[in-house]
Amino acid sequence: MRKLSCCFFCLLFLVGAVNAAQISLEVVGQGMPKYPIAISPLKNTGAAADPGRISTGIADSIVYDLDLSGWFRVLDRAAYIEDPQKSGDTLGGFDFKDWSTIGAVGLVKGRFAVQGDDLTVELRLFDVAQSKELIGKRYVAKARDFRRIAHKFADEIINQFTGTPGVFNTRIAYVSTSGGRFKEIHIAHLDGTERFQVTNNRTINLFPSWTSDGKSVIYTSYKDRSPGLYHFELFTGKEVKWSSANGRYIGGQASPDGQYVVATLEIAGNSNLYLLDANGKAIRQLTSDPGIEVSPAWSPDGRQIVYVSDRGGSPKLYILDIAGGKSRRLSYSGSYNTAPAWSPKGDRIAYTGRVGRRFAIFTISPDGGNARQLTSESYDSEDPAWAPDGRFIAFASNRVGRYHLYVMQAGGENQRRLTGSGGDDTKPSWSPRLD
Amino acid sequence: MVHFKMACYMVIGLIMLAAGCAPSAAKKTDTAASDSAGSTPKASTSPSPGEGKRDTARESTTDRSSLGQLQEGKSSETTGPLKDILYDYDSHSLRADAREILRANADWLKGNQAARVEIEGHCDERGTNEYNLALGAKRAQAAKDFLATLGIGADRLSTISYGEEIPVCKEASETCWQRNRRARFVVLPGRPAS
Repeated sequence: MRKLSCCFFCLLFLVGAVNAAQISLEVVGQGMPKYPIAISPLKNTGAAADPGRISTGIADSIVYDLDLSGWFRVLDRAAYIEDPQKSGDTLGGFDFKDWSTIGAVGLVKGRFAVQGDDLTVELRLFDVAQSKELIGKRYVAKARDFRRIAHKFADEIINQFTGTPGVFNTRIAYVSTSGGRFKEIHIAHLDGTERFQVTNNRTINLFPSWTSDGKSVIYTSYKDRSPGLYHFELFTGKEVKWSSANGRYIGGQASPDGQYVVATLEIAGNSNLYLLDANGKAIRQLTSDPGIEVSPAWSPDGRQIVYVSDRGGSPKLYILDIAGGKSRRLSYSGSYNTAPAWSPKGDRIAYTGRVGRRFAIFTISPDGGNARQLTSESYDSEDPAWAPDGRFIAFASNRVGRYHLYVMQAGGENQRRLTGSGGDDTKPSWSPRLD
Repeated sequence: MVHFKMACYMVIGLIMLAAGCAPSAAKKTDTAASDSAGSTPKASTSPSPGEGKRDTARESTTDRSSLGQLQEGKSSETTGPLKDILYDYDSHSLRADAREILRANADWLKGNQAARVEIEGHCDERGTNEYNLALGAKRAQAAKDFLATLGIGADRLSTISYGEEIPVCKEASETCWQRNRRARFVVLPGRPAS
């Protein structure tokens, strides 16, 4: 059945307690040198062998996440001195000197045991210089969900050092051609694992957008021959088409509070923004300009919508105050600005802007000031999507040929290509934190 | 205290998860193949019985629309009696050459009174897909409105936008971009008069 098995996502139970004192914030972050950390493969303390390669699998996932954050320099496993299956994973059970000599400032160690389908994991973060344990967690899950544990612990590590949890227990929804001629909606972790195909209808599917509870994806599909808006529940497989009697919906974005959806409705060639309820029923029309009004995105407080309008001649960004109904122009520089996305922190709006013959990602303050170009105009970068913490942006770029998904920090640092579906991957949407 | 709050969240989270989880009847899930070396099952590309209806598109053997051609793996180059019209970049205005073609298309439609046409609006690949979907709709509507002024009944003309999604060529060149900035006129399969 085309749905996510509920167990696939939800049987993660957090048991353990937080140990030791929180060390000071800002140990990692923008402008700081990367924090050298070692991630040891886990010790197998169960009776069963490890054919699922959980020992290195969990470590690899943590490595991937911390590396992608751009705040950590993960030390190469080839340099590790001790054998994790022989040494201990708790204080007193191993020698911190084995880690300080290779330059580790932070260290992650752990243990796991598999019994049948079930997996128990303990993970600990240590401060090597002070020989202290900073975090200790215990997790119970299905063995096949071992990567989820890694993502949760990576988010804990980031919380420890920055005061805000990481965003690695999330998913990206995106459009992929998978090398073929159709465009389908896919969901995967940032590292490309746990991939799930939302659509498989051999047409064009576009504009995936997560709902705020992380349980559904809204997207536009041509599967009914002309474009329509669809709401798909991941765990039940239930899909509902949202139609208008008067025209066709192009793209919808769910509100942060889960109560509304803003969508573009095209009637006889005119595209305007409409406010819908969470079931796709139209509440009212938000814009009524004869030009093109498209690409809406909510402010995090749900009171404003940033969108694209060509009422000034070419596509520019405008901000609508929903209660008052008035719009003001946001972008004054650049001749073609589109695909806006409002940071969950509220402080910046990302968008795609034309520079010469190319498109680049910019961010701008909601008052219109301090526009910054984050990607190079030597190639195209488009479709910015914010992580739920407002510290990362996912986007699509053709800098190495085909379109691939990338992630960077909110200031443009550490641009990294993500593993994709093999083909052109575009239009990422970043899920809320899961669980 | 951090510890107490965390414990509370854990318990609440567990209760919510337990409440919200539908028991999964079968272990099989329709997941696509994962990159990981391991155990994730491959997706079945044919929908399972009862599920397929929900997710397949309607396909027609005489579907000459760009979407129909795409599904059959064919080019959507126009071969029928009605010619494409082309547009300038970021514009839906009808140029003089476009109006010429529209007059010729109108003549054909007047000579074939039973024919109904779907007007497709297309864009080149530059700019975002949403904006181009809306621009394609404007292009299709502009062509329809002009045909209406030439006396073609609006009930014979439907519109659809494909934005930049179904191009006839893919090179990043001005020549190819111009070919894609088009409206296409697809004669719909005939229906008995109602």
